[in-house]
Amino acid sequence: MLKKIQIALLLALLILVCCGEPPATNGGKPAKVYRHAMDGAPGSLDPAQAASLYANFIVVTLDDTLYRYKYLARPYQLQPNLAAAMPEISADGLQVTIRIREDVYFMDDPAFANGKGREVKAQDFVYSIMRHFDPETRAQGAWLWQNRIEGLDRWKEQGSDYDSEVTGLRALDDHSVQITLTKPFPQLIHTLTQGYAAIVPREAVEAYGQMLSNHPVGSGPFRLASRDSARAVLTRNPDFRQQPFDLADEGYDPASQANLGLQVLQDRSPPFVDRLEFEFITEDAARWNAFTAGEVHFIKVPVSQFDNVLSQRNPVTLSPGFDGMYHFEASPESGFVYTNFNMDDERLGIHPDPEQNIRNRALRCAMVKAFDWDKRNEIFFYDIGRVFPGAIIPSVPEFDPAGDASYIQRDLKGARELLQANGWDEETLPTLEYGFPNSVTERQIFEQFRNFMMDAGYPSAKIRPMIFATYGDYQRAYSQGKVTLINSSWTMDYPDAENLMQLYYGPNSAPGSNSANYKNPEYDRLYDISAAMAESPERTENYRKMNQMLIDDCVSINGISRTLLFLWDRNAIMKPDRSFLGGYFLRFVDLAEPANTTP
Amino acid sequence: MTGTTWQRLKSDPLGVGGLCVVVLFALVALCVWSGLLGQGWSEVSGERWENASSDHWFGTNLLGQDILQRTLFGTATAFEVGLIVTACSTILGTLMGALAGWYSHSWLDELVLWLKGVLDSIPFYLFAAAVAFALQGNPWAMHLAMIVTFWTTTARIIRGEVMRIKEREFIEAARAIGLPGLVTVFRHVLPNTFHILLVQGSIVFVAAINTEVILSFLGLGIQDGVSWGLMLAESSQEVLAGHFGNFAAAGGSLFLLLMGFNLLADALQDALDTRRAIR
Repeated sequence: MLKKIQIALLLALLILVCCGEPPATNGGKPAKVYRHAMDGAPGSLDPAQAASLYANFIVVTLDDTLYRYKYLARPYQLQPNLAAAMPEISADGLQVTIRIREDVYFMDDPAFANGKGREVKAQDFVYSIMRHFDPETRAQGAWLWQNRIEGLDRWKEQGSDYDSEVTGLRALDDHSVQITLTKPFPQLIHTLTQGYAAIVPREAVEAYGQMLSNHPVGSGPFRLASRDSARAVLTRNPDFRQQPFDLADEGYDPASQANLGLQVLQDRSPPFVDRLEFEFITEDAARWNAFTAGEVHFIKVPVSQFDNVLSQRNPVTLSPGFDGMYHFEASPESGFVYTNFNMDDERLGIHPDPEQNIRNRALRCAMVKAFDWDKRNEIFFYDIGRVFPGAIIPSVPEFDPAGDASYIQRDLKGARELLQANGWDEETLPTLEYGFPNSVTERQIFEQFRNFMMDAGYPSAKIRPMIFATYGDYQRAYSQGKVTLINSSWTMDYPDAENLMQLYYGPNSAPGSNSANYKNPEYDRLYDISAAMAESPERTENYRKMNQMLIDDCVSINGISRTLLFLWDRNAIMKPDRSFLGGYFLRFVDLAEPANTTP
Repeated sequence: MTGTTWQRLKSDPLGVGGLCVVVLFALVALCVWSGLLGQGWSEVSGERWENASSDHWFGTNLLGQDILQRTLFGTATAFEVGLIVTACSTILGTLMGALAGWYSHSWLDELVLWLKGVLDSIPFYLFAAAVAFALQGNPWAMHLAMIVTFWTTTARIIRGEVMRIKEREFIEAARAIGLPGLVTVFRHVLPNTFHILLVQGSIVFVAAINTEVILSFLGLGIQDGVSWGLMLAESSQEVLAGHFGNFAAAGGSLFLLLMGFNLLADALQDALDTRRAIR
């Protein structure tokens, strides 16, 4: 009997060994496996639906875009990726011609004839952009090119037939694309760096349909091996093009980046690791524990750990326990947090009665004065966020360091006087709804806001929470103008201040990105003029004037740019990014000690 | 409750202990409702994460709000939810159970049993989430979800009891003198189920408080205000950073009150059970 049990156990062991995941190897050497912790999971991996930061992160490692940002250069600089060079732009700025590299192939996939990946052609780019205007794709990136490219919106209206041509989006030959714009759009090339603009083969879309979201086929350095709600595993694309890494070309700065060990990448062709593993861990505590236990190489430090991790906030300095153990970066976000007033709400926004209109403006301005940015920064951003007046964030060149600082200084006395002078008291003040998606932090932010207002004499019962189950529900509600006080944030899509100013552009009112529903003809006029301009002193002046209009009209309580803290394993050779470069940096990740990288 | 029952309850030290705890929390809730306690639950009165002190007995939370004030207000929230849900679900369950029991094996009985079967087959928290979603932003969504699901147990118990009582001689007598059915039910049958309702009510009360805490923790509960569930949800972010004020205050209060209610319910059941008393 005992012998039978032993045999059974041996057989079970044999089955386990045979059926388990094969050991990661690379030609006999231990495989290099880089593990990346993310605080959320992607929905779809179809570039047309890559709306979230998480999806975008993975999409750009699986697929290619025509352009990207230089890996190491800050401020960000554009760089050709699948494009052979920077675009040729006509003198009137309306015609953009882009040459595409000739050595790029899609990864092998059964969707192709004989399963062999074919060359990436100009027609693939045209097709990939057209998909955004095909209702069947359920794409989310069309807004980037809406009313910008000649004939593209009309193509959609006429039924999205891929066999009919779009006049403003044409493949001149297999390796040339010509885009004709309806009006100058200097930000076009920035839009072509995004996951939305990643190139997919028509064969794969037709073969997999909606399942493309789980079966991506691109030309990137990695291919998807597996994915579920907790993790995604990407393996090296063995046929990825040879494209030697050049430090100088990527904007390497020896003064600030020498300690990252990036020099070993010089002249080698990415990808440098055999496998990328993404761990989707939404719980801060679990993600932090995974990092400190060495289960993942990288983490965006949860705010609740800032006290542990930092010994000093200004300048941001690591605690002795962490210093030397990890690489570290404090990175200002490319966006900001704000609380918009819904200007369409007559209780505090624009009112048909001019007198009431003046009183409403006074109410908004009093609320701005009552808001305590120092406290907000201290409690929720550990005093390392940067507070600024208006909508132009400090990291863009248009930012005015000499801007109206009084807008972000708390003035309780001024707030009370303003209310009193305009006939607002506990009786007459309107009951307002403050919207937020359901989460502990959002509720705390609301309670703090209500406290600020209470300090200025606003009755607690007159500022009510309006809670939504998900951020999507909340966004839908405020996009439809159903929320009066809108606490939200904006992350720039590309490093151009136009992407900030459009947040208050009248035609972008609900359901567009102008959630404040601000409509100022002068602001809109300046926006129309400036949006077609490249960065210049004249444009800067216009944007600053527009920013001052936002301040004068008290449209929003804004704003603060958060500082993100990144920690990563000293064996991981990389410079992480969560901004415009996004997941592109994962193409260039390497590990110093492969022997220690397998589980 | 008869004098004998009270005597039996008094002789149970655990029951008396439970009663004292419940009365103490009930007094706190009364004081909060009357504006004597816990009114500063939303005010920022200190600095972030202050330790326990004479100013803040349980310390402060992330915003600098006094945890004691929030705990006291949370007691009122718990009692408010407990009372409303218990009252509504007991009344509903009693009515449905009485009708089903009195007209047993009729279409009405079948309908009540079918409704009960349907509601019992839905996972509770899924149901609560669906109701919360459907009534987005409505402060009564949580109460409604609980009432709609909690009445079924009461109805099942009352139905059985009514079916038993309606076979008794005094009901036969009522029928014989021509008393209408519903009058008989409300005047002669239901008063004889009071002891069951008392025990069942205390069980529902505990379940409602417990559920409120869980739903609030999940973000499906209290909209404006504070509850122990919200405090526990806050503590999930604070414990990692080494701050236990919210966790200890809300968790400890919840434990004490539920323990008190459970001891009281057990003691009540024993005191009201005449067979046990005879033994």
